[in-house]
Amino acid sequence: MSSLTTMLKAPGAMLEVDDDPEAVYEFFCSKGWSDGLPVIPPTPERVERMLAYCDRNFDQPVVKIPPRFGAATPIRVAANAVMAGCKPEYFPLVLLALEAMAEEPYNLYGTQATTHPCTPLLIFNGPIAAEVGINAGHNVMGNFFRANAAIGRAVRLALVNIGAAIPGTGDMATAGTPAKFTFCVAENEAASPWEPLHVERGFPQEASTVTVIAAESPHNVNDHESISAEGILTMTAGTMTITGSNNAYYAGQPCVAFGPEHAQTIAGDGMSKADVKQWLFEHATMPMGRFSKEGIERRFRRKLADQYANASLDAAVRMFAKPEDLIVIVTGGAGKHSAYIPTFGNTRSVTRALKREDGELVTSIEELKRG
Amino acid sequence: MAQLTKRGLIAAVVCSDSFMKLGTAQAKVFGVPDLPLLKIQHPLGGLNMDKVRARAAVAVPQLLKVVKEQQS
Repeated sequence: MSSLTTMLKAPGAMLEVDDDPEAVYEFFCSKGWSDGLPVIPPTPERVERMLAYCDRNFDQPVVKIPPRFGAATPIRVAANAVMAGCKPEYFPLVLLALEAMAEEPYNLYGTQATTHPCTPLLIFNGPIAAEVGINAGHNVMGNFFRANAAIGRAVRLALVNIGAAIPGTGDMATAGTPAKFTFCVAENEAASPWEPLHVERGFPQEASTVTVIAAESPHNVNDHESISAEGILTMTAGTMTITGSNNAYYAGQPCVAFGPEHAQTIAGDGMSKADVKQWLFEHATMPMGRFSKEGIERRFRRKLADQYANASLDAAVRMFAKPEDLIVIVTGGAGKHSAYIPTFGNTRSVTRALKREDGELVTSIEELKRG
Repeated sequence: MAQLTKRGLIAAVVCSDSFMKLGTAQAKVFGVPDLPLLKIQHPLGGLNMDKVRARAAVAVPQLLKVVKEQQS
């Protein structure tokens, strides 16, 4: 714990605020250290408790977060996790998400500073998601569940407070998205008829992983009428084909999050996850003529000239470049709803497994507990 | 541009007024706090050619000034 003690002795490391919730709230907002909501004050004692499940050196940067390229040390991230309302056992998952986002394919710099309304969607797979209480059932993308709220919020606070994704200065989002408060789910593996996302990507079933996607807010797919795979996928494809999406221009890896009932109906007709991706690749298209004349001329004819320079207005515009690029998960509770989640486009999702310092997979969060 | 500046070349970034704070901050982050930012009116995207030329007319004199200053 010496590094924590040393760091707290550094000039300016400690601040005093009245021991009053409203005073703390006012102070953090005035400093620009909050997301606009009240925070838990990151006292030394709370930060130290937050690090109880951290097997890293507390003051060694795990990643650097653009656009400031601030050093995300465990101590700094822990302070943000305290502020967000995390339990200490959530903390390794916050670090894991930041590490995944720092991998080059994710394009953290671009996703932080862009005018586009993207934010990290964190999808957790494996046993630790349930162990720490990440919701995968009803209202999975909504409010109420502490782990979903606090883990996603801690990541967002780190992006702002360490990375300087400050609106108008480092985060140039024109309008942003409410998902910037938190966007964190677990896949409902028990209710899925298909292999979970991490297994599909080559990780063992017992691995606990996070997949990070530079996502927009989800759009609902309401389908109470279809009783066939083709019916539900037709409705899904219709929801996916939108002219204003970055995926229409930059392809990328958009995500379909099927509700369990839709997924069961689709699988019941014999379709695998790969079949679903292939079907949507072929059908989630729209004619170029649906775009504006200027869009056709400036975007498709010139910038995407290799595909569309001489194409007819009936030429198909796809939302992803190849079937395997579509991310398919199953999450949520009962009901005839699924969700389509467009992305920043110029980004790739990254999946990363939670491992101990020795490189072995963590199968229970308790393995990381210090002392 | 930061890399070009560090290699001794004359470099500048065209930056619309809405993005000046980001440009200034990033120049510092990348170790070239004096990187010239050629300020034009926002936006640059979605303009017809006349308006693009008008932006260029504002940027080019700033670029020439940078070149002259750094050559002298």
